[in-house]
Amino acid sequence: MTAHFAAYSFVDRITEFIDGSRAHGFFWVPPGIRVFPSCLVAEAVGQLAAWVAMSKVDFRGRPVAALATQTRFLGVTLPGDVLELAVEIEDCDDNMVVYGGSAFVEGRQVIELEHCLGPMLPVEDFDAPHALRERLSLLRDRGAPRGRFSGVDLPETVVIEHVAGKSLRATLNVPREAPFFADHFPRNPVFPATLLLDAQIRIAADLVEKSCGPQFASPVASRMTHFKMRAFITPGQEVELEATLSGQDALAARVMLSAKVAGKSVATARVEFAAREPT
Amino acid sequence: MTQTEVTKEEIMAVYPKVAETMADALGCDVEDVKLDVSLIEGLDAESIDFLDMVFRLERTFKIKIPRGKIVENARGDLPEAEFEQKGIVTEKGMAQLRSYLSEIPAERFKTPMKVADIPRLFTPETFCKLVVHAQREAQPAA
Repeated sequence: MTAHFAAYSFVDRITEFIDGSRAHGFFWVPPGIRVFPSCLVAEAVGQLAAWVAMSKVDFRGRPVAALATQTRFLGVTLPGDVLELAVEIEDCDDNMVVYGGSAFVEGRQVIELEHCLGPMLPVEDFDAPHALRERLSLLRDRGAPRGRFSGVDLPETVVIEHVAGKSLRATLNVPREAPFFADHFPRNPVFPATLLLDAQIRIAADLVEKSCGPQFASPVASRMTHFKMRAFITPGQEVELEATLSGQDALAARVMLSAKVAGKSVATARVEFAAREPT
Repeated sequence: MTQTEVTKEEIMAVYPKVAETMADALGCDVEDVKLDVSLIEGLDAESIDFLDMVFRLERTFKIKIPRGKIVENARGDLPEAEFEQKGIVTEKGMAQLRSYLSEIPAERFKTPMKVADIPRLFTPETFCKLVVHAQREAQPAA
């Protein structure tokens, strides 16, 4: 089985497609995988928007992750769940796409993305346009074969500095080879921004758990804002992650996230963890 | 598109919100967003920050700013072929640019100037003017 449209593809079927405007679709999360983190749910919503955007510009361009105003993490998605995806395109041309979207499991909303912006880059730099066209036809017709995603090894982070109650720094070594690179993207392997975010949120959760008291035990991110991806991360690069506690009250703990490669900022975001209800 | 010059009063009316929006996009203090600071050289803005700023200004002011609007505004009525040739701003184009970006000191207009380098000139004031123009265009014609 090839990794293309399998190792990092999260739309199996598109059931509504209004050109340049909106779409509705599904992803069947394979039951055999270990986890399906929220960042992959966000990726699924983004990929549905990407299909609408690529079709709108006749596959001259493809969007890449750049800005996300707000993402609300509303619930977990488990292996075996059916993800129902919906996107609304706010603006789309040869330069960029702006969209919002949601994902649901059995009618329960699990994620909401607001005002996301992706610059459109030449599609031929990333993938074969004809392969993308054929794939979209398949998704809109009978749908792609389900269960082709076999999970993803989330790259480990290694903590290098922890300033109690304040910040945490860690390194993330992007693998030189991984199945997802063949799908993201076949002609230009790029470390997915959503996997970077997953790692960043994990170290932020670690910081919050260590710093913010029992009401933040086993913290789960509730909201991410100000996400900005400045540059691609390529196979084999070492990324320095930093999480800095920026505020805490009875309701939430807030953390600023940054990622650097060779001292240069590649991504920034802010993430919030809701406090647990007292029992 | 209206070519009426933007007044200092109009600029100062939108500047506080523009500065706040830009500071948020750039992750800097609002006090650093001086009206005349170079966004690229003074505040380390990159191309993604320009997209972010335009994106945020659109929502803050409920206006629409098409991509490339600053250069289009700067070009005014000058046809594209007279404004630039092979990616370099022509003499006529430079005169037009100096006139549109009148807030920018003359010594910052280096020649020859690539069209791609025009954003290096931009300051928060440039964006204030962009907002004022967009607000005017959004108003129904009298």
